[in-house]
Amino acid sequence: MDVQEAVAGSTSVASGDDNGDAKRDGQRKFTMGPNDSLEGKLVYDGSVHVDGRAEGEFKVTGNLDVAQGATARISIEAANVTVKGQVEGSVNVRDKLTLGKNARLSGDIVVKRLQIDDGASLNGHVRMGDIEQHGSGG
Amino acid sequence: MSSTGPAARNRTPVPAGNGSDGDHSSIVLGPRDRLVGQLYVEGDLRVVGTVEGGLEVTGSVEIDDGGRVTGPVTARDRLVVGRAGSLLGDVRVARLVVQDGATFSGKVSMGKQVEAPPKPVEAVQAAEPVINAPAATVAEPAQPMQPIRGQQAVKPAQPAKPQATRPPETKGKRR
Repeated sequence: MDVQEAVAGSTSVASGDDNGDAKRDGQRKFTMGPNDSLEGKLVYDGSVHVDGRAEGEFKVTGNLDVAQGATARISIEAANVTVKGQVEGSVNVRDKLTLGKNARLSGDIVVKRLQIDDGASLNGHVRMGDIEQHGSGG
Repeated sequence: MSSTGPAARNRTPVPAGNGSDGDHSSIVLGPRDRLVGQLYVEGDLRVVGTVEGGLEVTGSVEIDDGGRVTGPVTARDRLVVGRAGSLLGDVRVARLVVQDGATFSGKVSMGKQVEAPPKPVEAVQAAEPVINAPAATVAEPAQPMQPIRGQQAVKPAQPAKPQATRPPETKGKRR
């Protein structure tokens, strides 16, 4: 079950036909649009697409991607993470982290596999290996 | 004793099979090569062998095909860790490429500080230049290996160059 909390003031996380909580190929997907914002803590059973602005803590059982132009000040825990926008915060990835050519990531990384494309910017500490599983409930 | 001049010139690290066009070296550490220590290269470096120690390169560094580096790496242009490369150490680079499958752990510092001129003009002028230093000889290996720390790098051993009165070359010409 997913828990979404502390979605503050101007937050609107389900605009447009393609946005919102949709099931694709049997997997749930939480999609934010470019004008959406989320502040708080999100624990989600599925995948998350971040566009617009996000701030807080994201724990995701599936994949998380941050779109180009998006700004995220979040700590991330997810299976696979793809960053094309700007992220500030720690990133724990159970499998693979990909930084696209326009990505800007500032924060410490724990990851199993890492791909950084030419043009990406990274400032932080990288540790490769299996991440310790924290309690997934909170 | 023969002068150190020619001998020092011969110290340019251009082993057989590696290329150099004078100022710009292109060095390859092959699969059976092993370096323990500090290496400073004015040019590019490709590591297919093993390095235990620090690398400072004015051009690009590529680690691939079984290449393993344990130690800090500074590359003023680009660092590429290929899918069959391994790097354990802190890096300061302008550009970084890590291919899927590569092994990499360490602190990454990217940005303008990497391209900062190593010797601020005022600092060089203010410092007492050690003119007696054997400026004609190739610098001792320990000196170029000093990390690029920009402002705090007052290097008395660095002879003041005539060009030093000019403003430092602007960074960002690559950006």
